[in-house]
Amino acid sequence: MHKLLMVIRREYLERIRKRSFWLGTMLLPLLMVGLVVIQIAMAKTESGRQETIALVDATGKLAPVFEAKLAEEKTRDGKPAFRVESVPVEGSLDETRRRLEPRILSGDLFGILTVGEDLDSEDNFRLYAHSVGNIVAQKTIQTALKAAVLGLLLERNNLNVAPEVMKKLLAPVSIESFEVKEQGQVKKRGFDEAYIGTFAFVMVLYIALLLYGVAVMRGILEEKSNRIMEVLLGSLTPDQLMTGKILGIGLVGLTQVAIYAASAGLLRLYVTMAAFQAGWTGALDAISLQTIAYFFIFFLLGYFLYTSLFAAVGAVCNSEQEAQNLQSPLVMCLVIPMAMTFFFVSHPDSPGAVIASLIPLFAPMVMFMRITVLTPPFWQIALSILLLLGTTYLFFRGVGRIFRIGVLMYGKRPTVPEILKWARG
Amino acid sequence: MESAVSLLNLVKSFGSFRAVDGISLEIPRGIIFGLIGPNGAGKTTTIRMILDILRPDSGEVRVFGVPAGDQVKDKIGYLPEERGLYRKTKVLEMLEYQGAIRGASPAAARREASAWLDRLELGEWKSRKVEELSKGMQQKVQFIGAILGKPELLILDEPFSGLDPVNQDAFKDLMLDLNRSGASIIFSTHQMETAERLCKQIALVNKGRIVLEGPLHQVKARFGKNSVLVEFEGDGSFLSSLPGVARVDDYGGYREVRLQNGADPQALLKAAVERVTVRRFEIVEPTLHNIFIEQVGGLSHHA
Repeated sequence: MHKLLMVIRREYLERIRKRSFWLGTMLLPLLMVGLVVIQIAMAKTESGRQETIALVDATGKLAPVFEAKLAEEKTRDGKPAFRVESVPVEGSLDETRRRLEPRILSGDLFGILTVGEDLDSEDNFRLYAHSVGNIVAQKTIQTALKAAVLGLLLERNNLNVAPEVMKKLLAPVSIESFEVKEQGQVKKRGFDEAYIGTFAFVMVLYIALLLYGVAVMRGILEEKSNRIMEVLLGSLTPDQLMTGKILGIGLVGLTQVAIYAASAGLLRLYVTMAAFQAGWTGALDAISLQTIAYFFIFFLLGYFLYTSLFAAVGAVCNSEQEAQNLQSPLVMCLVIPMAMTFFFVSHPDSPGAVIASLIPLFAPMVMFMRITVLTPPFWQIALSILLLLGTTYLFFRGVGRIFRIGVLMYGKRPTVPEILKWARG
Repeated sequence: MESAVSLLNLVKSFGSFRAVDGISLEIPRGIIFGLIGPNGAGKTTTIRMILDILRPDSGEVRVFGVPAGDQVKDKIGYLPEERGLYRKTKVLEMLEYQGAIRGASPAAARREASAWLDRLELGEWKSRKVEELSKGMQQKVQFIGAILGKPELLILDEPFSGLDPVNQDAFKDLMLDLNRSGASIIFSTHQMETAERLCKQIALVNKGRIVLEGPLHQVKARFGKNSVLVEFEGDGSFLSSLPGVARVDDYGGYREVRLQNGADPQALLKAAVERVTVRRFEIVEPTLHNIFIEQVGGLSHHA
């Protein structure tokens, strides 16, 4: 036990002390935080500025309603987000617009909205702006214009509608989606949010499994090529060495993932405090405690399963080049579920997803994806975990045998059938 | 008193190759024991089985009366022939780790390693990375790694290969020191001169079997005092054609003549005096080198 602890200690400290570890660990959260902070900052400056829209209206009737409706959209400090400047038509609509265009380029105007006389004509309404990619602004303008046009249409058809009814006529119909869970629970959730949240987690899972699997493999290769293996085996059993390495590097992984989780938590706090737009908080809402718990469970299970295999690759190879070929099937097993995230998230209950989530090599990622978007029957989760544990146990035993023989072999790499023969002992 | 190591009918094959083919051996406590033989004779495989790095196909290994394995591993210090260090690790940390996996607490291992580094004049290098050290310094560090924790049994596999003469002497003195303070030492080598100088007892291994074994003086006595050292001026090619001469080894400055059983050295001297100017004529025990070559025969080009 003392020896095992000493191996864990070394593997852990050796990596934790490296500058590159902290660089790699801090980079992702910093990037995340940076992105969100920039987004929030940009949103603040954008919404803080009052924009002017020139309305060139051939009907001459739309301005009051349009302006009133637009004024409902406020900047952060409570002023109307848009000011409307009514420009009378001089000559044709196009001529009037052309005279105004320089003011758009100078930044004086956000845009020019032209409205022709004939409301039924197809291209009667046109928005000219410097940037037409601002969907939020376009939507706001569209809604306000619709209200104004509707009012005019009612008036032209001599229909008198009370202001309250008018308001209801204009209210948008919104759809909120709910996820049905066991025991009658429902949870408000949109597909985008589910997908973004799951994808972020699956990315981290994939990167962590691959990164730490390869780290174990590299460590073993290093000990072989530095000829230090036999020095260590003079004091340690191959099992102690292998287990200590896997646990030590696993702890490094847990440390890193914990730092990620903590920074995600802080980020969420920050976003909540900044009362940011719904889209972003929604994605972070997907990070429930349950999700985090399952993330750790499947990270650990996947870690032990994959690192034992990566350890075997390290044990039988002499160089990284040699290991490349042998490790590629393992990498494939990780890439396939990640590449199919969209399918698994949109069809979490399809037979394909259920089967994939029970196959041990795919289970850590696929079962985790399914759990984040729906709650699979408990027996499926339990069976998946049991199968993972069982397979990991068998792998550890086989790999222990491969390790014992492989680590002291230099020269020609054994063939796959030979390796399998060693594993059976 | 039981032996330091006892091997009973040890067999180990790799595929169809029998690396160790039925070795039985008692290695007493407290002596320097030489495991000698050409490359590929099975020395390293035997050592690995003593350390439980390899498991024998059949046969038994006992160390201090206990079956080889975890229980006795900590009593053994091992310097393998293939010895390396973590290149990016600091010298003291490397040794701390080696001491710790032999059962010491990290702090204790650190203290001991630090004392050894001071003694071997590496004190200033403690917090340098291994890769910054010269080869000779790395060899010292490796040696310290093997002797941390005062092992009762020290196993050194080709300890002198690749060492410069200064380090060779330093290591030899250290070995003798440790031996005097009670450690049993097994060392394997194909350098006969070294074995002859250091070992009290030897086993000559060839093709996975023990060819010859016992205290050095007995082994030599078994081959009798029928070797002659001749130093002379003139053409010595006649020596090998003289009656009663088994073989002649030319060492440049002198020749060692091995006589057939019952041949008379005086007859050789007489024949020599007639042809060349003899400077030195001495009847000696055969060197280990000669015994080795006689026993191993055709494989001698490996040595």
